[in-house]
Amino acid sequence: MRENFEKLFSHFEAPEPPAGLFEKIILAIKREQELQQTKRLLFGFLFLLVTSFIATPLSWTMLVNQVKSSGIIYFISTAVSDFGTFLAFWKDFGLAIAESLPVAGITVFVLNMILAVFTIRLFLYKKRLLVGYLLHNKLEF
Amino acid sequence: MKAYTDEQLVIDYLRGDEESLEILIKRYLKPIYSFTFRFVGDSQEAEDITQEVFVKTWRNLKKFNKNKSFKTWIFHIAKNTSLDFLKKKKTIPFSDFENEEGENKLIETLVDLAPLPDELFERADITEMLNMAMNQLAPKYRMVLFLRYNDHFTFREIAEILAEPPNTIKSRHQRALIKLKRLLSNLK
Repeated sequence: MRENFEKLFSHFEAPEPPAGLFEKIILAIKREQELQQTKRLLFGFLFLLVTSFIATPLSWTMLVNQVKSSGIIYFISTAVSDFGTFLAFWKDFGLAIAESLPVAGITVFVLNMILAVFTIRLFLYKKRLLVGYLLHNKLEF
Repeated sequence: MKAYTDEQLVIDYLRGDEESLEILIKRYLKPIYSFTFRFVGDSQEAEDITQEVFVKTWRNLKKFNKNKSFKTWIFHIAKNTSLDFLKKKKTIPFSDFENEEGENKLIETLVDLAPLPDELFERADITEMLNMAMNQLAPKYRMVLFLRYNDHFTFREIAEILAEPPNTIKSRHQRALIKLKRLLSNLK
């Protein structure tokens, strides 16, 4: 019986898809792909922005505290106020300053600055894409 | 050229072969368009839905279970997308698709399900007759018949596509055949 009805349905004219539908589908998928990439980029940008916003004051405070407690200011002010002595003992001064450098504070602060610069650069390079996405699409959290 | 299975094409696409997706779309463009056209009965709407079906398929390709049939999966997406579209439009009574109530099962199962008469196939206007008869059928019957005899799905696959129990599909199929036979004999 199945063959019987399959034979009957072979007479049925299946509608042909309109010309250009395949290209439209490919285009729609490409558009969707771009949208997904932009969305990922936007979330990455927002993450970096928030991270650098939170980390900047913290790393700055950490650096200032470490500089204050390290005694580096004392060595530098001595070198500036008595430049002759500094020149005579520059090697010892240099070593003392280097030893008192707040390495951890400087590293964290520099890394944070690199992150902030990278975030700004990312925004400047992709601003049209990011702003366009925000204007035309509602963010779905 | 080697004919790849749908599942192999999906795997190839996910591995980065863009052409595999194009082959898949070309392979299913006509069946899916035809399916959505049958659902909504309008070429422009069917075009939009078909586009949406392929975008949804692409979006969920990573979630596709490679041990299952891609054909059944894409038709299931097509059915859901068409239903969503019709729900938004609110143009059809949804009981038409979902409700099996209100049928006189006893009378219908008593009707003979003999093969179609040969004279029917000899008629010049068989296509026109079939179109007319199919258009008079309720969408739920039309869909089962098309999926079975035009798209060559098994009952189990149709049940998967329409997300209904296989026994419901079998009884609906039987009723659809009886109704179609009646319609065809009335059109003679």
